[in-house]
Amino acid sequence: MINQEQIARRTLLKQLGAASLAALGTNQPNAWASNDSIAIRHPEAKADSCILIWLAGGMASPDTFDPKRYLPFEKGLSIDRILSTFPAIDTAVDNIKISAGMENIAGVMDRGTLIRSAVQPDLGHILHSRHQYHWHTGYVPPLTVAAPHIGAWMAKVLGPKNPVVPPFINIGQRLEGVGEKEELKAFTTGGFFGTEFGPMNLPFPEDAVRSVQPPPGMQPGRFANRYRHYKKLVDQNPNRDWMSDYQQESMLRSMEAAHRLLGSKEKQAFDLTLEPQESRQAYDTGRFGRGCLLARRLVESGARFVEVTSEYVPFLHWDTHEKGHSTVARLKREVDRPIAQLILDLESRGLLDRTLVIIASEFSRDMMIEGVPGSNAKDQATNKTDILTEMKHYGLHRHFTGGSSVAMFGGGVKQGALYGATAVERPLIAVENPVSVEDLHATIFTAMGISPQTAYDVEKRPFFATKDGHGKPVVDVFA
Amino acid sequence: MKPLYLLLLAVSIAVSPRPSWAVDFAHEVMPILREHCAQCHAGSNQKGGLGMNTRANLLAGGESGGVVEPGEAEYSRLIELIETDDESERMPPDGPRVPPEDVAILKKWIDAGMAWDPEITLGESAWEPELAPRVVHLPPARDHRSHPIDRILDNDLATRDQTPPPPVSDAVFMRRASLDAIGLLPSAEELQAFLADPAGDKRERLIKQLLAREVDYADHWLTTWNDLLRNDYTGTGYITGGRTQITPWLYTALRLNQPYDEMVRDLIAPSEDSAGFINGIQWRGDVNASQTREIQFAQSISQVFLGINMKCASCHDSFIDRWTLSEAYNLAAIYSDEPLELNRCDIPIGTMATPKWIFPELGDIDPEAPKEKRLEQLAELMTHPDNGRFTRTIVNRIWERLMGRGIVHPVDAMGTKPWNDDLLDYLAVRFAQDDYDLKKFIQFVMTSQAYQSETVVLGKEPGEDYEYAGPIAKRMTAEQLLDSIWQITGTQPVEMVADVDRSPREDVQDNAAQQARLDPVPISAQWIWHAGETGKKSELRKTFQLNATPSAAVVSVTCDNAFTMTINGRQVAASRQWTEPAYVDVQQYLRAGENVIEVDAEMFGGAAGFICQFSVIDGGERFQVTSDKTWQARRPGSEQWATAKEIAPHGAEPWGEILDIDASFHPPRGPSPPVRAALVKNDFLMRSLGRPNRDLVVTSRPAELTTLQAIDLANGEILANYLNRGAENLVAEGWTAPELLEWLYRCAFSRPPTTSERTYLLEVLGEHPDLVDVEDLLWMVFMQPEFQMIR
Repeated sequence: MINQEQIARRTLLKQLGAASLAALGTNQPNAWASNDSIAIRHPEAKADSCILIWLAGGMASPDTFDPKRYLPFEKGLSIDRILSTFPAIDTAVDNIKISAGMENIAGVMDRGTLIRSAVQPDLGHILHSRHQYHWHTGYVPPLTVAAPHIGAWMAKVLGPKNPVVPPFINIGQRLEGVGEKEELKAFTTGGFFGTEFGPMNLPFPEDAVRSVQPPPGMQPGRFANRYRHYKKLVDQNPNRDWMSDYQQESMLRSMEAAHRLLGSKEKQAFDLTLEPQESRQAYDTGRFGRGCLLARRLVESGARFVEVTSEYVPFLHWDTHEKGHSTVARLKREVDRPIAQLILDLESRGLLDRTLVIIASEFSRDMMIEGVPGSNAKDQATNKTDILTEMKHYGLHRHFTGGSSVAMFGGGVKQGALYGATAVERPLIAVENPVSVEDLHATIFTAMGISPQTAYDVEKRPFFATKDGHGKPVVDVFA
Repeated sequence: MKPLYLLLLAVSIAVSPRPSWAVDFAHEVMPILREHCAQCHAGSNQKGGLGMNTRANLLAGGESGGVVEPGEAEYSRLIELIETDDESERMPPDGPRVPPEDVAILKKWIDAGMAWDPEITLGESAWEPELAPRVVHLPPARDHRSHPIDRILDNDLATRDQTPPPPVSDAVFMRRASLDAIGLLPSAEELQAFLADPAGDKRERLIKQLLAREVDYADHWLTTWNDLLRNDYTGTGYITGGRTQITPWLYTALRLNQPYDEMVRDLIAPSEDSAGFINGIQWRGDVNASQTREIQFAQSISQVFLGINMKCASCHDSFIDRWTLSEAYNLAAIYSDEPLELNRCDIPIGTMATPKWIFPELGDIDPEAPKEKRLEQLAELMTHPDNGRFTRTIVNRIWERLMGRGIVHPVDAMGTKPWNDDLLDYLAVRFAQDDYDLKKFIQFVMTSQAYQSETVVLGKEPGEDYEYAGPIAKRMTAEQLLDSIWQITGTQPVEMVADVDRSPREDVQDNAAQQARLDPVPISAQWIWHAGETGKKSELRKTFQLNATPSAAVVSVTCDNAFTMTINGRQVAASRQWTEPAYVDVQQYLRAGENVIEVDAEMFGGAAGFICQFSVIDGGERFQVTSDKTWQARRPGSEQWATAKEIAPHGAEPWGEILDIDASFHPPRGPSPPVRAALVKNDFLMRSLGRPNRDLVVTSRPAELTTLQAIDLANGEILANYLNRGAENLVAEGWTAPELLEWLYRCAFSRPPTTSERTYLLEVLGEHPDLVDVEDLLWMVFMQPEFQMIR
């Protein structure tokens, strides 16, 4: 019953399956109106890889990249006089000062551009998960469609840089066993592009290698044999020709790609124990630092987009609702050295020019204002006071969406540049060149060679890389 | 402090980063183009070769070249022509000129880059299906294939000079039917019995038997309905109380095969149990106007029950179909507690919505009625016998599940032309005639020759030019795949998270009446064993007479340490844990005349003893049968029965008051079948196999396996664990390699291995496969496309 054409196709697909690793997904949204609209012209890429360093929980810019008037802790001090809880320090760039405790990053500020005027909308309750969703997808939830993460956009539009390495890798965030996990999952996804473009999740950098190894207890030889026998069985399967090629072949191709990675030299990139001791120590301030090292190794082997996060867990890490000062002092010790080391390593390997590194958070913080001035958001500080009496009151405990900092390095951005500014006095809103999430994304996409107007057809509606295609790149940050 | 902030608020608005769009294409530019240009340059009209359906058309220009230059209004011929005084050139050629303020808008628009929302065209509107049901006159049967579905499809094929696909073998049919109807693989034994059955109607009988397995059926279809009604066990909203489950209601509806129209009435005008669907998700914080609960309601009921996409119309009049903003809001207003103001693209427009149904030809809502009444009215209108859209939508969804592709596809776009409208209309009318009986409809499709045909082989996923040639193989859902793997490996989880009742259903009314008469009586039973040396095992028995079949009978029983009890040769209870007595309804095992209770008792060490107490209603009499010296006992192997030895009364140490008086009269219902994947929370493995988060209505699962999923299947710990435990279970069977292969292939593929498969695998496995060999064998089998597809 099998006709010649089927046999010919089967042979062809067998060859394809062996030769091609490209994801030839068929159940995918089509580029919007590809027939009768002008083709989207993508800008020329300035970077081939992107690392997003995500300091989840709301990094207070006055205590990090945008220091303001500093007053040390003192009993009886009225908090409206305090803007920063750390003094400012010099950086490698004359007109840029950042916050004490970030001396290593200060040393590499001449490799990038610091944006001090990023702004976010006030979504009523200033909820981390909703702002994180917005920041990672460009859209404010809830939505009627599943929006893809920006990493998924890069995976979809640009494809993998090295076909063996998954194009979108997400380091450091657990999606089970943490608060708001459902909300985190909602944006940690390929969205309507499907899981082919979704993240490979590596919550623990030191365990990353397990994701590309045979299951625990299985020797590599056995693993390889199992696959070899499997392929033999597939070839001998008497019913191969009775199932549609597109269904079977996608399955076999994906299985092949998976085993290609699991048997590749690139998988060594996932193994931090292969990093020289000295270099490992340079990064190892903890899980986040190891995540930065893993990101570097993955980008070196051809990852397209890597996110490294200090992890969002409600009320932990950068989500400082009390004891802000001492918490941020600790966090700086965790992030300062590895971030700077990452920049330096990428540079010394000649990769920084073509790698865009972004440091960002969902919003900033303030000692007094929740949301933006006039917001009706609920005050989220746990220990409220107007006058300092205890150390736990000393810190930036309210969510602030009116002005925050984003640092960008490498990937075609200006070196040692400053863009935008916030007010000198409270409220510390962006007063110069405010940059919305849409425009920030347009900037990132443009650097990566993706038009912010790129759109895909979802339920006969266009869905754009930046909201409604309106994102405008901040061209001033490009060299 | 406050005043200072208020002052500064003004500053923050002034520097608002929201990109200011000088021109709103949809609401400013489009009306101008419609009014002045569309007559000659829209749809198929392309005067002078110039079409203006899309931005690309416009940019392409006409016979005399380009007419616009984005960013350069001044140099654009379009502007020149609408402004010119030259009567031979002017556009539009007749009628009023384009007013200067409109020209200014067009110029501004072109200068700003001529943004054109790609979803908007000047073309004509889409095909609009009829609302009313349509009775289809069936064409004559061809080749004696008289099933209505075959009559329609065979004729359709004949008009294209094609022949119907050949029927599948019994084995392929059984696997397909079983997975489609109840989501489980047929066991090797079931398969053998089916193949051996010579009866001509065995396929129809199998379909009926499968669908009669109400728990298995509900376990399977729950997946589809949870997706469709966005019901889940965890997810956004549940933890904050902004969302409620409808699981118990839904499961019961499926299990009892509640008619679909009733189900929908329960969902639209709900009780507390079924309210979760229309209440949607209450998000924390401020949400976009198109995501309020009211608008979610309008979107969800339109999509789920009618295949209408109201998402566009929730923001503005839809550009892709006929639905308008006010229709979406009027529908939402039916649900709204408060008067609802229309928002266009998130901006209030000062118009209030009136509760209103979208198909006025069927009737309308009384806008003055209270919300509950309005919802009841809506439920009636939705399920109105003349609402053909309602029945077409559901039959199409089920057709897609069974046949691999919708008659309208995608299944949510019911405004799209079906590839066979006779088929769709016939099915919809039939479904209504059959009282909206979902099972009956599934059975109707499955009994057609079309369903029972070989699947068609396609080189690529079918597109809009799809023509029916036969059923299309389906990828198993994550739940089907997991259930199948669990079935073969015996690794079902013990606990389910779904709050559903899966225990065997009994004749509820009778039982309740009898239970009421079985009031607890004190436990008077004795711990017994055989006399003499205790040994490890004892056999116990009791014979007693009944005048009639009892109207009720329960037993409370346990043994230190283990026992098996039969009544008249049928096993009724067994336990290996003396601290957990069994409480069993044994009415059906007893009969008029002599009854024999037999017990195999076993002691693992320490104290030995068996105890039980029956409570029986025989005619009007109520009496107890208790373990005591009226029982007989013997050591296994010995010929002679002797009087059982009473060791101690109930309540004595070391066992204490082990039998619960109350429990024995409210025995938990019999054992439930193994837990199924649809009843447990989503996990990494199922997620990577395509089980969705259900924040949104989900009507299709991914058809393809991706690389990241394949990595999970290659080395994921969850699957590895099933393989490992499964291998242990199978090795314990003590099979030889050929026996294992035969069994496994029949279970997994519903066929024996071919000679070449057998030869190859026997070489790989060796004579006595060990744990590792079996683990790898299981993986190789489960990863075959043939396993993961329903072909």
